[in-house]
Amino acid sequence: MTGTDHSKLLHDLRSKCSSLKSAAELYKDCSPAEKKEMLALMNAAAAEITRLLSSLAAA
Amino acid sequence: MDKLNIFVLEDDKLAQKVMCAHLAAHCVDLASDLKTALKKLETGKYDIGFFDLLLGPGDDYSGLKAIEAAAARGIHCVVVSSSDSDETIDRAYALGASDFYAKGNEEANVGEILRKFVQNRKAAAATDIFASAFITCDPETRAMAAEALKYAPTELPILVLGPSGTGKTSLAKILHEHSGRDGAFVSINCSAYTEDLLEAELFGYRKGAFTGAAETRKGRLLEAHRGTLFLDEIGTMSLNMQMKLLKAIEERSFYPLGSERPERSEFRIISATLEDPQALIASGRMRFDLFQRVHGYTINLKPLSRRPCDLAPLLLHFTKGRRRLSFSPEAKEFMESYAWPGNVRELKKFTDLVSGGAAGRVDLEMARKHLKGTEGPRPAAQDGELYAYALAHGLEAALEKVSGDIVARSLRENGGKKTRTMTDLKISTRLLYATLKKLGLDTEGK
Repeated sequence: MTGTDHSKLLHDLRSKCSSLKSAAELYKDCSPAEKKEMLALMNAAAAEITRLLSSLAAA
Repeated sequence: MDKLNIFVLEDDKLAQKVMCAHLAAHCVDLASDLKTALKKLETGKYDIGFFDLLLGPGDDYSGLKAIEAAAARGIHCVVVSSSDSDETIDRAYALGASDFYAKGNEEANVGEILRKFVQNRKAAAATDIFASAFITCDPETRAMAAEALKYAPTELPILVLGPSGTGKTSLAKILHEHSGRDGAFVSINCSAYTEDLLEAELFGYRKGAFTGAAETRKGRLLEAHRGTLFLDEIGTMSLNMQMKLLKAIEERSFYPLGSERPERSEFRIISATLEDPQALIASGRMRFDLFQRVHGYTINLKPLSRRPCDLAPLLLHFTKGRRRLSFSPEAKEFMESYAWPGNVRELKKFTDLVSGGAAGRVDLEMARKHLKGTEGPRPAAQDGELYAYALAHGLEAALEKVSGDIVARSLRENGGKKTRTMTDLKISTRLLYATLKKLGLDTEGK
């Protein structure tokens, strides 16, 4: 893995974690329908974080 | 808040959702790739844009290209990105970004960004304040006030310096009106109270806290909650009171007299003094730590005698809708060379006096009659003012100002004759012309 790939991977990780944090802060004020959509997106973000961490571990 | 047209460039679905939730009160347009972004930005209909920089795997900061396109269309560009290296920040600002925030704190940041944007736009459009609320034609005073207005929507404390009657309170009110703060503008003149009374006024008291406290009363600090607390003549406050005020500013909480329960207040401080704060500190009359807390941005208002171009517009303002006055050339000349020790306040009083007179035409005799006793040459910049100017603009600028003032006065007194000025001041032709150039005066003999 090159330095650029490494920094982009770190960027993606930070980005996903930041979105999760912001989404968690918003969650309590969401309507039930929005909560459902938000949860699905949060799940997807968590899965992506896991994938990125695996890539990092494998590098 | 005004409804804004907002553009958001963000490839991450969850981040899109978060931004849309925070911007729900406005018209939001989304794009998740550069091509779509550029197409949408072509319309130029947006007030403000939020830009992510890395758009998907393999992307090479294409968000920067969108910033360049948006800035060229006058859109206020805000970067919200996880790529916040110094190099990336420099590139974004160089391409036209106005703000840069790291992702992850949208709940606090987005609202603050929008509030500042709206207030700054209002301030930029408020050129009419110089023709109504804060009348001045003086370029230096206008520039200083306009600069101060940029800080109006921030939490930064502002210290207004200047002699009595120069408009410190008016400026403080304008700053509050442009701050976007929900609370009230609460003003208190610290010199009007004894220490005990000032403490009661500022912090409030409970019924029975002291003899005469017949009922519980809210203090000015609490009245200024979410608003602005204007402390006029802060230099007259006792050291003991300064310490109590400093504690309240730092902790945003205080105890009203006779109360065991603390009160919280989120006030913004604007303070004013006609004295030189550094001299107050040096003489032990002002705590350095309080000074540090109140002088986030400092504005120094010039006395009226140093901005004679403001006489005519102020006179016009004071007589608006009333009897219009006419001044003889001699009266005008006298007024322009008058020292105006009471500044704008004195001019207002003078206007009221001559307006109430028998004739609407003001000649030299009448001007002298009403301004009698304080006639004299305009005072040179006082040490305190000059020191404050040097603090605000640097020593070199202050020295240039002094030499500029002296050269301009000498030229005026010599009827514009440069040879006389050079002889009187013992300066070279080169220095004279360099000074005239800095003053923006014609060097071709006028």
